[in-house]
Amino acid sequence: MASPKARTIFRKGVWDENPVFRQILGICSALAVTNLMTNTLIMGLGLIFVTAMSGATVSALRKITPDRIRMMVQVLIIASYVMMVDIFLQAYLPDISKALGPYVGLIITNCIIMGRCEGYARVNPVWPAFLDGIASGTGYALVLLAIAFIRELLGFGSVFGIRVLPEGWVPWTIMVMAPAGFFMLAVFIWVAYSVENRATRKRG
Amino acid sequence: MKGRLFSVLYMFVLSLVFTSVVSALNVLNKDRIRQNEALRLQGLVLTVLNIGPSEKGSAAELAQLFSRRVREASLGDRPLYVGLAEDGKTVVGYAFPVSGPGFWGPIEAMVAVAPDIQKVLGIAFYRHSETPGLGGRITEAWFQNQFQGRPLQVPPAGMRFFYLKPPGTAHGPTELDAITGATETSRRLEKFLDEELKKTIPLLLDQKARSRV
Repeated sequence: MASPKARTIFRKGVWDENPVFRQILGICSALAVTNLMTNTLIMGLGLIFVTAMSGATVSALRKITPDRIRMMVQVLIIASYVMMVDIFLQAYLPDISKALGPYVGLIITNCIIMGRCEGYARVNPVWPAFLDGIASGTGYALVLLAIAFIRELLGFGSVFGIRVLPEGWVPWTIMVMAPAGFFMLAVFIWVAYSVENRATRKRG
Repeated sequence: MKGRLFSVLYMFVLSLVFTSVVSALNVLNKDRIRQNEALRLQGLVLTVLNIGPSEKGSAAELAQLFSRRVREASLGDRPLYVGLAEDGKTVVGYAFPVSGPGFWGPIEAMVAVAPDIQKVLGIAFYRHSETPGLGGRITEAWFQNQFQGRPLQVPPAGMRFFYLKPPGTAHGPTELDAITGATETSRRLEKFLDEELKKTIPLLLDQKARSRV
């Protein structure tokens, strides 16, 4: 019984209800950290961890948490996990921690996590809530990686810091700046919806 | 009333639990984080003084090399790192931190000068918040390497130690290539580097003349 359910959760998190291009959540960090793939990957992993753990914790406490103060409780839980990620990065991956700077701390305000806690974890058992967090986080990370891939490729001529385009490549300066984040996100949503529409038409 | 009291207590206990866990993690990792910082700085000092380990050695090796080849002193209100030769006595250079405003935030750098204080040994920009790919390119080797071997003459009034010129138009020993597309970063860097050098170089010359370093 667990495996088809897990599949549904992942389908929803990664595609049907993808937080970034369906619900347009988490846009701030989607624009800010997507000019280098390494940073994006770490940010994505951080978010997956925080969303999954917060979901599981909120779910575990769902029966005893008074309804009135549930938001406060959720923020407390999310903030604690984010601080754990921040401490971990500072201690074990200092270079990445430097590169991400304040954005790790800003995971706290990422609407995806609170959205999943409110919308799913609060009314579902621990294990599905945990999986749901991983699924939504993965959906977020994949979209960001797709955007970062194009921005890093055209803006630096590299992928994960490894040079792939020839030496003579003239980097597109705009790609490393914030506006390119907007362009790429819009293009991504456009492509994703076109694919979706074609699929529906075929089915219909 | 009972429900309200429970809410307060519940929040209190939950906060206590979570802050304890986070604090514990923080305390457990504090030394490691501080060590990372110190190590980064030591590696940087060794690199700008050209003592640096050619390949990336272990943390312990780096710390050991630092303690053997660098003597810590002070230059006004900032630290001064005196680079020593293999014998542990001969001075091979002086390194000191400089900092100033960049475009988005402060830029911090480590400058190393030759023992006679007539020449730049190296410079490394190690903390900044400039745009990646634009102003952020100040950390790239081609930019930092330009400073190596440049003569260090205290300029006459109204002049600067170094000028950043549009790439390809830099002539003479005091002119260097700026970064294309990062006009503001280049302009501010030129300004603060000059101000900092004007503060530190005369002081260093003075300390050396009185053989205090």
